[in-house]
Amino acid sequence: MNGFTRRQFLKLLGATSAFAAAPPALRAATTAPRVVIIGGGFGGATLAKYLKHWGGNIDVTLVDANASHYSCILSNLVVTNAIPMSRITLSYANLAGKYGVTVLKDMAVAIDPDGHKVTLASGMVLPYDRLVLAPGIDFVPIPGWDPNLAPHAWQAGPQTTLLKNQLAAMPTGEFFVMTVPKSPYRCPPGPYERACVVADYLKRRKPGSKVILLDANPGITAEPHNFGTAFSTIYKDVIEYYTNASVLEVDSVNKVVLTSIGSFGGAVLNIIPNQQAGKIVRDTGLTTDPTGRWAPVDVLNYASTTYPDIHVLGDSQASTQPKSGHMASSQAKVCADAMLRGFAGGAPYPAPVTNSACYSPITASTASWLTAVYQYDPASKAMKLVPAAFGEAPAPSGDNYQDMFKWADNIFADSFM
Amino acid sequence: MRTSQKIATALLAALGVAASTSAPAADPMAGRLLASQCAQCHGTDGHAVSGFESLAGESVEEIIKEFREMRADTTPDIMDLQARGYTEEQVRLIAEFFAAQPHSGSDD
Repeated sequence: MNGFTRRQFLKLLGATSAFAAAPPALRAATTAPRVVIIGGGFGGATLAKYLKHWGGNIDVTLVDANASHYSCILSNLVVTNAIPMSRITLSYANLAGKYGVTVLKDMAVAIDPDGHKVTLASGMVLPYDRLVLAPGIDFVPIPGWDPNLAPHAWQAGPQTTLLKNQLAAMPTGEFFVMTVPKSPYRCPPGPYERACVVADYLKRRKPGSKVILLDANPGITAEPHNFGTAFSTIYKDVIEYYTNASVLEVDSVNKVVLTSIGSFGGAVLNIIPNQQAGKIVRDTGLTTDPTGRWAPVDVLNYASTTYPDIHVLGDSQASTQPKSGHMASSQAKVCADAMLRGFAGGAPYPAPVTNSACYSPITASTASWLTAVYQYDPASKAMKLVPAAFGEAPAPSGDNYQDMFKWADNIFADSFM
Repeated sequence: MRTSQKIATALLAALGVAASTSAPAADPMAGRLLASQCAQCHGTDGHAVSGFESLAGESVEEIIKEFREMRADTTPDIMDLQARGYTEEQVRLIAEFFAAQPHSGSDD
């Protein structure tokens, strides 16, 4: 065990006095703080649940455009018809019934940061003490791109079904052309995972067909060992992998993509465009990072650096942490804890830890994994990767494939149930 | 327990703060927040719903022992790497939180 230094003790005494000066019951007894959350993905749902689970007397409203959430986690297996859509459909019923969260099927269209009000598409106006934006990603438009013809399937739901149907209808011997966005984007291993499971499907169901994988990055963004090995061995004759291929234009009708390294056409065109923060985050003027696409936050509580009572969670925020459902859920807990401390007159916990763990199917019966832990670094005020805790699976395995479903079930339940 | 720690604990007890063997434990929410980061795989409050080990109700000593074994593993699996991301102090806070949760009886 670490020693107990004099400095730590003095700090503790300070914390104790501050605690005594602001009794938490006082604030809670007068009025319930109102928290409005825009976006019911892993970040928004986890925050809603944990504010109630930990806090009790908080008035929590969760706004999402859909009646249920379609999880991107496991969604590549819906594309290949290995699992049904119902397996990744997550209901908000428990958040409402078990935790007392007010769930609204609606969309935020305007925010008044000074008046502390958010206006929804239905016309409803919600006042808030704290507003949380967790809308996920939005796409950077590409000339000629129509997602109804060349689906992204990077927000799960109808897009997943569209890509699944196009894959099923693809003639044998044809090309499945897909693009990998420039980093940072949602789910770093995701595009390579999709290329692998589609290649596995084509090998078994439509032999002679190929995946053309066009990567805007100079190399494989995540799990280079596992995906690189898969591309050069089991999928050597199925996946053609190209790097530094930036998408310039799309002919959605004829399914041709023009890139910086040439034009590629196929029977299926899966365009996963470059990404940015959700529209409501951009419209509120929060995307002030150097790229103008993501919202900088204080990672002790995920408060926007523009408006401290508007928080941004998950994919839309700009931080050192990767964009994924697991990370959004991890950040939501730090945000919930900091918010509850704030309502009680306290400061955020000064040393938060976040983590990411995920499994990626490589074939229809094997998977790899990727894991990372981030510790708060007071010097840089950023979440810093712990190098010793970072890594990918030594090789894909059948056990990992089984563990992938245990992970999914637990993160689904921890966030939504 | 070191002498400075004993004094600190006694003083904190005199101040009406829950006495503990570790500095940040004087913040009762610290362990809860740190342990919540395990829940994505091990379930809310350590009650796993599927497959992975439920940590609720395990003893502090057992959890700390498991962390030490995982860190020492020379062919690390996913959790063996995760375990390397936390300090000794954080592991103790996490272990104390799970030990205080009711056992759910769904061990791996």
